[in-house]
Amino acid sequence: MSERNAKSNVGEHGVGRVLAMTRVFDAPRKAVFAAWIDPKQVAQWWGPTGFTSPVCELDARPGGAILIHMRGPDGTIYPMSGVYKEVVPPERIVFTASALDKDGKAMFENLNTVIFSERDGKTTVTLRVEVVKSSAVAEQYLAGMEIGWKLSLDRLDAFVTKN
Amino acid sequence: MTFAALADPTRRAILARLISGEISVTELAEPFRMSLPAVSKHLKVLERAGLIARSREAQWRPCQLNAGPLKEVADWMEHYRKFYEQSFDRLEIYLRGLKAEKGSKDLTQRKQQRKTQRDAEENKNVRAKRKK
Repeated sequence: MSERNAKSNVGEHGVGRVLAMTRVFDAPRKAVFAAWIDPKQVAQWWGPTGFTSPVCELDARPGGAILIHMRGPDGTIYPMSGVYKEVVPPERIVFTASALDKDGKAMFENLNTVIFSERDGKTTVTLRVEVVKSSAVAEQYLAGMEIGWKLSLDRLDAFVTKN
Repeated sequence: MTFAALADPTRRAILARLISGEISVTELAEPFRMSLPAVSKHLKVLERAGLIARSREAQWRPCQLNAGPLKEVADWMEHYRKFYEQSFDRLEIYLRGLKAEKGSKDLTQRKQQRKTQRDAEENKNVRAKRKK
């Protein structure tokens, strides 16, 4: 981990920012855990409403690769890749995830930690998402307007703030 | 998805041009050396992502920049939160489906067991009758 990531405050371009979410599922922990690492099952639910995952390859062991192509309702493919850091059935999964651009280059990288705990046959899933790499992205997405980008950035900034 | 709409340099350039205000598709296409249909395709992606709005009143249907989603892009976490919230909703539905499937399987199994039991008893009775 770089020095910047180790800090708890928000870094440049959102790096170091953390999102935490919790959801209780009415299913035993074993089943919920399996739904997170079995490619056939993950393909059933991964991604926003209306999306499918025509490509879903998960090698759920430390160092194993993740490749998912999400398909939006309009047919657009959104590829993402990642690597498992920890797989501890049925308790914990840690993996990185990056959205890929048209050339297959990572646009940003998240570190996802998923913790499963069971009580009375219900499973609580706690998810923590941390942006670990995004400098190029923020640059590219928000700022990287090729035509007169410096001017555009300032104006876009002003526009977004104003509206 | 706002991110994917922004992943294309032409679309980012289109947005950059729209910062100046409303503009027609023909005007937008000019600097890109692109056919109008190609530009229209990009505009559709941007429109779907909610990044631009196109007026339906004027016949030349001017394009307008819509700042809302850009604000969300600026806020990474909002993007991920939405992604996972919707994924969790789907996971919930998926798991519920599994449970229902398992339930009906158990029911079929129980029915099958009862049938086997009945058959066995009947056979026993038949054999008992024969003995008599």
